[in-house]
Amino acid sequence: MTKLLSSVAGLAGLLLVSVSLTAHHGQAGYNTTETVSVSGTVSEFQFVNPHSIVNLNVKDDKGETQAWQGELTSPNHLIRANWTATTLKPGDQVTMTGYRAKSGANSMWITKISVNGEELKMGAGN
Amino acid sequence: MRIAWLALLLPSLACAQATNAATSSGAAPDLSGVWSVKGSPATRYLSWGFSKDEPPMTPWAEERFKATKPSFGPRAVEDSNDPVNPTTLSAIGCFPPGLPRLYLQPFPLEIIQVPGRVIMLFEFSHFIRQIFTDGRKHNTDLGPTWMGDSLGHWDGDTLVVDTIGFNDKTWLDRAGHPHSTELHLVERIRRVDRSTLLDDLTIQDPKAYSKPWGGQLTFQLRPTWNITEMVCEDNVNFDQFLKNEANPKK
Repeated sequence: MTKLLSSVAGLAGLLLVSVSLTAHHGQAGYNTTETVSVSGTVSEFQFVNPHSIVNLNVKDDKGETQAWQGELTSPNHLIRANWTATTLKPGDQVTMTGYRAKSGANSMWITKISVNGEELKMGAGN
Repeated sequence: MRIAWLALLLPSLACAQATNAATSSGAAPDLSGVWSVKGSPATRYLSWGFSKDEPPMTPWAEERFKATKPSFGPRAVEDSNDPVNPTTLSAIGCFPPGLPRLYLQPFPLEIIQVPGRVIMLFEFSHFIRQIFTDGRKHNTDLGPTWMGDSLGHWDGDTLVVDTIGFNDKTWLDRAGHPHSTELHLVERIRRVDRSTLLDDLTIQDPKAYSKPWGGQLTFQLRPTWNITEMVCEDNVNFDQFLKNEANPKK
């Protein structure tokens, strides 16, 4: 949790930066040289092509709720790693780690994800 | 341990024998199955291109290459103008990758063989490629197309595929290399064992490249996989469609 808070800390200046609502393609929009981790509650899971989207409500160190968005590979690849459309549901507790958007928005390309304490396998693809 | 190795090898040997028998008997080798490109650290470039080396571009191609802003590879940028994967939010994307780029989209394909045709069913946006093996001539009556016109013939255990008739709207790969309507793609596809398919590709386009170039793709059999729905436009263009519906231009 400390690590989580340290990742979220310092984001006050970014409060007005909206989360990208349109999925990127590829990882050029993300800073792949370092990872960030956030934990929160799932508000929505879009199991859609070409990239699945996890929307998360994350409490920052001031107790304010920040909207984060995580991007995953396509459902085709995820089902081959045993995912389904209901693997993530609103209300689930999720920790996601990944490459943050270069723009500074609260979005990431997910490289590791766990739900309710259980780590999920990731599919191939980009 | 030896028994375990033997168990692993037997299917391959059986397939090789079956392929040889099929070839000597005149029957076409069996390429059918669901396949995905198999990469390795040495072939990391397959995420964006067919070769680790830059192809020999003509000035015509150089000029177009410089104008491309890919989403993948060493020249990847955040505001890509890739017609398949644009990252500028106002851009329309999901145009057909065409061939040979379609092979580099990270999704499997299924090969189905019927008399006179080898059919490739690509998972990425469900593109279908028909390779006619019934001895017909090229037919480009439709004019230049995204997928071109593919003819095949068997050279022993190898399917030789000749494709022409491409439009020039696509990139050859995900790194932004251009091509002209003179593109001529030649492939030699063979199943070297039960689980492995090799495709040697040669790209000829004298307007864009000073000499033929290409690469080799290794495909891995995925016996438990099915080709599933994959619609590129789903969460990008469809979201924009809904926004336009909600706020129509007057």
